[in-house]
Amino acid sequence: MKLLLLALKNITRHRLRSFLTMAGVAAGMFLFTAVETMQHSLATVTKISADDTTLVVYRENRFCPATSRLPEYYLPTIRKIPGVESAIPIQIAVNNCGASLDVITFRGVPPENLQRYNPDLEVVAGSFDAWLQRSDAALIGENFARRRGLKPGDTFEAVGINVLVAGIIRSGNAQDNNVAYVQLPFLQQASKVGLGTVTQFNVKVDDAARLESVASAIDETFKSDAQPTHTRPEKAFFAETAKQMVELIGFTRWLGLGAVAAVLGLVANAVLLIVRGRVKETAILQTLGFSRLMIGLLVSFEGILLGLLGGGTGVAAAVAFFQWQSFTLGNEGLTLAITPDLTVLLKGLVVALLLGLLASLYPAYRAARQPVIESLNAA
Amino acid sequence: MAASFIQIRNLTKSFKKGPNLITPLQDLSLDVPRGEFLALMGPSGSGKTTLLNLIAGIDSPTSGELVVSDRDIARLSRAALTKWRSRHVGYIFQLYHLVPILSAFENIELPLLLTSLTRAERRVRVEAALDLVHLADRAQHRPTELSGGQEQRVAIARAIVHDPDLLVADEPTGDLDSESAGAILRLLRKLSTDHGKTIIMVTHDPKAAAAADRTLHLEKGQLIEQTQPATSGP
Repeated sequence: MKLLLLALKNITRHRLRSFLTMAGVAAGMFLFTAVETMQHSLATVTKISADDTTLVVYRENRFCPATSRLPEYYLPTIRKIPGVESAIPIQIAVNNCGASLDVITFRGVPPENLQRYNPDLEVVAGSFDAWLQRSDAALIGENFARRRGLKPGDTFEAVGINVLVAGIIRSGNAQDNNVAYVQLPFLQQASKVGLGTVTQFNVKVDDAARLESVASAIDETFKSDAQPTHTRPEKAFFAETAKQMVELIGFTRWLGLGAVAAVLGLVANAVLLIVRGRVKETAILQTLGFSRLMIGLLVSFEGILLGLLGGGTGVAAAVAFFQWQSFTLGNEGLTLAITPDLTVLLKGLVVALLLGLLASLYPAYRAARQPVIESLNAA
Repeated sequence: MAASFIQIRNLTKSFKKGPNLITPLQDLSLDVPRGEFLALMGPSGSGKTTLLNLIAGIDSPTSGELVVSDRDIARLSRAALTKWRSRHVGYIFQLYHLVPILSAFENIELPLLLTSLTRAERRVRVEAALDLVHLADRAQHRPTELSGGQEQRVAIARAIVHDPDLLVADEPTGDLDSESAGAILRLLRKLSTDHGKTIIMVTHDPKAAAAADRTLHLEKGQLIEQTQPATSGP
């Protein structure tokens, strides 16, 4: 603890040098955290976990929600398939079908079914009743609301559809936080698809182990129909449709590694310069009785503190930035919310700490091994 | 006769410098009683600083016996020697060697960081050391805000704060004006007579040496003369 305080004094009393080093570390760790946030957000929406029970039924060979047109009367048939717990027809309307940073997605659902199908939706502003009472009302996800600066009572227009914001919703499902839920008949008419036609059915299966078999049964049922279906887990669809986006975000991993390497080099260089500039001071401490281990620890603590303070700033800035900006990547109607997460924050801090430690190992070794008498006589 | 505080027998220090073997100390023997203020004089390269560093435990001899307070420090490992030094030795440098980013108080506190004293106990010790060197009002000043004489007094406070038996001083007045040098020598004299510290001081200045109980003259790594002033005092 005493050595840690001494290291902290060394940092705080060389303000400009410490500030410049920490600013560099913060910039590198900001980039690392940004990349990790994207990677983590992507993994959240594409990796199927053991408790995922949601299937999405689309028209076979669909490209975009606009090309997936299924008759609404498929619903009772789907509900009767063994293993299906519940199903809901959904109409999708998007402003941009390709990859976009600002996608607006309307989801039209039967108003009476929304809460039953999606019980973890929480209305954080406005009311669900207000949404039920007006056919052109929308419940919008909180990320979407923040990005657009919308609140209950506001109206907005997108994809040629005008709606009134009845409430802001929050959900454990990232997709829900980035869409606008409207009543199905309203969206069918407003988007000129027409009543009786939907984009997809979302199906909940009673057992995660039966996802594949239920999906096959659904597709088998409508194989010979005029509108054959293609059923997959929701996350698998995202991984498939957003393949290019997935590859692009996958590539950013190298940027993250580059940022880590840059931070490592920066801290190592800074600590090495500190050690070189402090040869005589180190020799004084050795003369006073500071052991090699203590000298090494003192240098390491300084590197760790530089890494941790600079890295913590960068990580916190990245988390705050993504929280504030609420970026969303959209593709074919599915959205990827770039959402900061506690695990990413902790990972960033651990990486910063390890980088500080790793970067100071060699300088610490050098300082601990320096000969006392020659160092005292050094100019 | 009581055993000497420092007993040196046949002490030799040599090292290689390029192809040459340098021997700054050759077969030197010496006894220093507890509480003595001893001055080492001699021309540059005579081996006095080497002897001082060996006695202080920051260097190790090539051969011979070096017993300080009944402990043969020539046989201690590097780690054991470091630990011994932190408890038993206070080192005063010619150029003070204070840590520039630390205040006078923090510089003096440094040796106490190696002890198990609490923060409050350390504060009491540091304040006592500051009082002893008459710098209580300069506790929060950085070295750059102090005069040379004040810096050396802070260095002396740092050397005595952990209450070592032995003080070694390498030309402690070499960089000071005569007034400041006199004050430093009176302080060292006081530490020897009033506090019983054994002091070994290297100096080129006969006036400084006159403050000591005894002066040894070295040349080419060997003792050549011993003088004892009739009266002590700078």
